[in-house]
Amino acid sequence: MSTTLHWITLIAYVVGSLISLGFLIRQRQGLYRMGLALLWVGFGLHTLALAAAWVEGGVLPATSLRQSLDVFSWALMGAVLVVNLSLEVKILGALVGPICVLLMLAASVLPAVPVVKTAAFKSAWVIVHVVSIMAGYGLLALTCLGGVLYLAQDRALRAKTMGPVFKRLPSLSRLDSLSQSSLLAGFLLMTIGLISGAVYAQMALGSYWRWDPKEVWALITWLLYAALLHTRLVQGWRGRRGAWLSVAAFAALVVTFLGAGLLMPGYHSFSSMADLGGPRP
Amino acid sequence: MKLHLIGLSHKTAPLEVRECLAPPPETVPQELGRIVDLPLVREALMVSTCNRVEVLAATEDEGGEAELSAWLCGGRGQDPQAIAEHLYLYQGADAVRHLFRVASSLDSMVVGEPQILGQIKEAYRAATEAGTTRTVLNRLLHKTFQVAKRVRSETNIGGAAVSISFAAVELAKKIFDSLEGLSALVVGAGEMAELAVEHLMAQGVSRVQVANRTLERAMELARGWGGQAIGLDDLGEVLGEVDIVIASTGSPQAVITAKMARAALKARRGRPLFFIDIAVPRDVETAVGELDGCYLYDIDDLTSVVEANRAGRAVEAGQAERIVAEEVVKFMTWLAGLDAVPTISALAAKAEEIRAAELGRTLKGLEGLSPEQAAALDRLTQALVKKLVHDPIMFIKGASHSKSPDTLRQQLALVRRIFNLEENGGE
Repeated sequence: MSTTLHWITLIAYVVGSLISLGFLIRQRQGLYRMGLALLWVGFGLHTLALAAAWVEGGVLPATSLRQSLDVFSWALMGAVLVVNLSLEVKILGALVGPICVLLMLAASVLPAVPVVKTAAFKSAWVIVHVVSIMAGYGLLALTCLGGVLYLAQDRALRAKTMGPVFKRLPSLSRLDSLSQSSLLAGFLLMTIGLISGAVYAQMALGSYWRWDPKEVWALITWLLYAALLHTRLVQGWRGRRGAWLSVAAFAALVVTFLGAGLLMPGYHSFSSMADLGGPRP
Repeated sequence: MKLHLIGLSHKTAPLEVRECLAPPPETVPQELGRIVDLPLVREALMVSTCNRVEVLAATEDEGGEAELSAWLCGGRGQDPQAIAEHLYLYQGADAVRHLFRVASSLDSMVVGEPQILGQIKEAYRAATEAGTTRTVLNRLLHKTFQVAKRVRSETNIGGAAVSISFAAVELAKKIFDSLEGLSALVVGAGEMAELAVEHLMAQGVSRVQVANRTLERAMELARGWGGQAIGLDDLGEVLGEVDIVIASTGSPQAVITAKMARAALKARRGRPLFFIDIAVPRDVETAVGELDGCYLYDIDDLTSVVEANRAGRAVEAGQAERIVAEEVVKFMTWLAGLDAVPTISALAAKAEEIRAAELGRTLKGLEGLSPEQAAALDRLTQALVKKLVHDPIMFIKGASHSKSPDTLRQQLALVRRIFNLEENGGE
């Protein structure tokens, strides 16, 4: 069931992305609405697919890289669609749709590992940990995208030609709001995710923090985002500096998400998930 | 029925002449009444804006243009001969094309500006209220609105920034999103700066401050916009508060330095600042434009923006002209159909076409029919069709002899609609 839904979701995302790309090129409003509607449909199916995988596997479907990429693409698409409700940035579908398609394809070709049914993945603390971290990642990816688009529009404005980039991108102030609102929400969720993880670690492993590589990178990432938030809210770094910093912070986030999960050994790495036990008595 | 369009516009006449021709709005009904009282004129419409005054009239057969022109030139407190020099006159298809082009904003001073369509709609409303439009002009104006809509939706002619002020507004929108509630600072007083401020205010800029070398002039300008006047010495301080700066002083050296802008940016906590420098020599140091959060456009930048759009607009205009040409042909066919003869022949032709098609289909299905039998069927259908169209044709002929021209046109239009004869005209 979840596999079928996964593929139907992928089809909806592919078609929605193609139509959104059509909008990017042709700038017809009908294409925008159609593409957006399809992405919403895809997101609904995606939610169902993940729920089905949860029910079928019995545990939160984020125990392998394959599943994590799937959940991340869901979080990214959700973040874009929700933020787009109030801050309409019409070209986001054309940019994020293909990214989500690639993430889901990557998730599809990765080898399926048997679902680890450890007690750890049934704990409410772990569920909160994983879900808020993933949702936070999705929003912070959007912050980075907002920063990149801000830099592109800034460049287009300074080129003084009113070219195609200038016409298609929204205003600097809208891109700034996009970055700011996704940053605030993403940072909050990431913080909740880290705290709930630490609480669970205390219950299960006897210490809040074990300096596992993923934890170290998560701390670096969190500090970078804290700095980004501080410079933005307190010092008013909103322009190019803020945009560059949001890109740098996201690079650290990718290292945390992929690098520490794949390359560095530690109990957070996907290969050692199976060894995790439940809470100690 | 003949169409005449007579008038003058920014392309043919200087402002003084255009001004004296445009009647005050409240006298438009009387003016329209006076036109339809002219011999031969059946329907009339008058478009008057600050850039053009035009009269569109539908007349009985040939003639009427001399009277129209005499009416337009006379009694305006100016030498009629002087006005007549600037007039243009279009007839038939040319009049229709001109109206379509004007409504589609192809003939505007600022090509693609959207106001003209509203002004023509207003003119049409005034004419219908005065009761001076009937079958022909009603149809023509509805068609005009459709054409303008088509041009707007099928070409990108309205999307282009068209003048320096428009360009400034477009740029400001890409920086601030909406201009609603923003504040502007005008440094120096010039005609272009005033125009730019008015455009910005029309887009929602709510507060204007004026700085000028002579404080009296600054106060005078500020009063007009409901704003504040400030001294040139306070510029640095005010830069921290405003969003858009329009500079146009005659000062030989820059009045806004990079140092001032840097200080202002600190106070603004990252809110961007948009400079429009239309002074020659420039008022704002070029280094200002390189600061993070400052966007500086001087007169050359704006002109090149406008020029870039102008090139793109030529392509769009070509496409728009094609749409107009296509629609002119359609309308002229419809107009010709309002005479009795084309309607009768169109009706007969349609009946014959249906008969031939149906007969052919039936004969194909009936095998083993002798030539005599086939000929009998042919005669039967011919007689049927002839009798069926006989009465409508007699009705049209009768109408064309006895009724007034207006009733005739309405009845012809009705007959064409009942028998769906429009397709022949390429509707």
